[in-house]
Amino acid sequence: MGKIEWAMWANEQALAAGFIYLTGGIVGVAGQFSGWKFAAFGIAAGVFVCLLEYPRSKRIKGTNFERTGQYCFTVCVKAFGPLTRNYYVRAFLHAVLCIPGGFMLATVLGCVCLGIASLIYLSAAIHGEHWEPILPEAEPTKHVSQSIKQPPQNPPPRPPADMRRKRLDDLEAAAYVNPIPVRE
Amino acid sequence: MGLSLRSWIANEGGKHCILITWLSVSAWIFWRTFILYCSGAEYHYLHKMLGLGLCISRASATVLNLNCSLVLLPMCRSILTVLRGTRQVSSKKARRLLDKSKTFHVTCGVAICVFSVVHVGAHLVNVVSFSVRYSDEFPALNVAHYRGQDPHLLILTTVPGITGVLLVLVLFLMFTASSHSVRVGNYEIFWYTHNLFILFYVVLLMHVVGGALKYQTNVDAHPPGCIPANQTRAHSDTWPNQEVDGELVAESREMSLVCKEDAHFQPHFPQTWLWVLGPLCLYCGERLYRYIRCNASVTIVSVVRHPCDVIEVRMLKNSFKARPGQYVLLNCPSVSSFENHAFTLTSCPTENKETFGIHVRVVGDWTACFSELLLPDLEHSEILPMTNQRRYPNCAVLPAPGCMWMVRLAVHQRKFSIMKSVCVWLAASELRLSPVSCMLSLMSGVVINCRGCILCGCAES
Repeated sequence: MGKIEWAMWANEQALAAGFIYLTGGIVGVAGQFSGWKFAAFGIAAGVFVCLLEYPRSKRIKGTNFERTGQYCFTVCVKAFGPLTRNYYVRAFLHAVLCIPGGFMLATVLGCVCLGIASLIYLSAAIHGEHWEPILPEAEPTKHVSQSIKQPPQNPPPRPPADMRRKRLDDLEAAAYVNPIPVRE
Repeated sequence: MGLSLRSWIANEGGKHCILITWLSVSAWIFWRTFILYCSGAEYHYLHKMLGLGLCISRASATVLNLNCSLVLLPMCRSILTVLRGTRQVSSKKARRLLDKSKTFHVTCGVAICVFSVVHVGAHLVNVVSFSVRYSDEFPALNVAHYRGQDPHLLILTTVPGITGVLLVLVLFLMFTASSHSVRVGNYEIFWYTHNLFILFYVVLLMHVVGGALKYQTNVDAHPPGCIPANQTRAHSDTWPNQEVDGELVAESREMSLVCKEDAHFQPHFPQTWLWVLGPLCLYCGERLYRYIRCNASVTIVSVVRHPCDVIEVRMLKNSFKARPGQYVLLNCPSVSSFENHAFTLTSCPTENKETFGIHVRVVGDWTACFSELLLPDLEHSEILPMTNQRRYPNCAVLPAPGCMWMVRLAVHQRKFSIMKSVCVWLAASELRLSPVSCMLSLMSGVVINCRGCILCGCAES
């Protein structure tokens, strides 16, 4: 029902997967297990994925939820143009990055999670979604109309109440002209 | 200062009390299990093989058991409604606590994620230990088939390993789809992934059947660290002669250290079943009850279009009882079979009338389809209440409890004063008018025709 934005979910998954990849890599390097070079790659890949996925994309319809302090990341990611805008590229990149993680036990989890995120990005790309930066919109300068700058000094020109009362019998006499012209 | 502290205790004290209790219980069972596996006699040999990884993995597993059982209870909404409505829970403080059920569910969910990370990390270390420290002395303890077996194979060829991987994947999907942005932006993703919980629990029940970790059953006959009998006889031949008392002491010490029989090991009874099966059956029973209840037919009596894209739908359902402030979940299979959308009741069934009504503002795709089914092609019509005799789509209504609005109305003598005070209060607290109009209509006994503009912010009634 309705148009699902797959990229939002893929972004959450990829960020979590990057973090898991990074943690697994740290454990693998710290413990100096066999294949710790794959763990070192996991650290680098995890950091890269986290930096790439931190800035959220602009939603097609609805309120945008920015992550704290994502503006500088948005500017960096935007600088790469179509490479980061296109989700086919991201899906392929995540798939390639996750493969070395499968060769070491500590990074296996990060590998699988990043692989799932890659698949969801592929689905988003097939649905025609792309990454749009959330940039602060320049507020248009409010044009203050003249009348606001000078509030009226006097109350509106009204004749007394008995004159204002509608006299149906004598419409000609009931009409009056405002002494002060009313500005639009 | 004294008043604010008392107010804080009255408003927030209960919630924090439960949080502290939950934290204390979790910490206690973590510590108790940790100590048991670290220094318990029946785990002595297993601990020698696996080290700290055993203690941390088992302790985190016990905390996971607790949270997997608690996480389901706040979602038993019908039971919570009954509790809220009965005389047993009549205090406002208790009702406020019941209203925090979703927060408790989220807390338990986060705890499950955190301790799953700990549990998985510890078990990965255990898998490496099983491989590297393969025990020739006690072959029954081993999970690996030989020393140095690839740990990847150990994970992928054992029941706990495969089910563990599946559990992590399901939890990863559920966790990433539960973030605020996904829930607000694409509720369907959250809803469908969260319904993977049943797969999670089925796999969890299978995960504990593997029996990878074993305990020693004959600690009395074979105290940990004892010397086997054949080795003792060899020792006694070469034992130096002692004085009478010393010899007796040496012999008795020797006797206590002698193993009467070999160590026997046995896998645990799956304790997770005891923790999880009760709440799981309760929750599944409740879902079944909700499904059966919502299958009763609902008749749409009238549909009224109001300005600002609002339609008022009046419905009739047998033995439907509701109170002001409650909301219903509306399901329309013609629009979507699996989606339930919540709408606050703007009028409840009373003694005089059996119909109940909701005001629906057409914002998203579901509401657009729904309004199109009810009142198609209204672009060229006048903005007047339109009631047509037509075939309305079948709908199901689920009473959705647990959402009692704490509305306090200043009681004034004249009706317009009530309206004035309500409007002022609404401006201050940003509360929608739907539940208030329901309450007012119930109090005054008159159906208040809410103009659609209310729901989009204009204050008229």
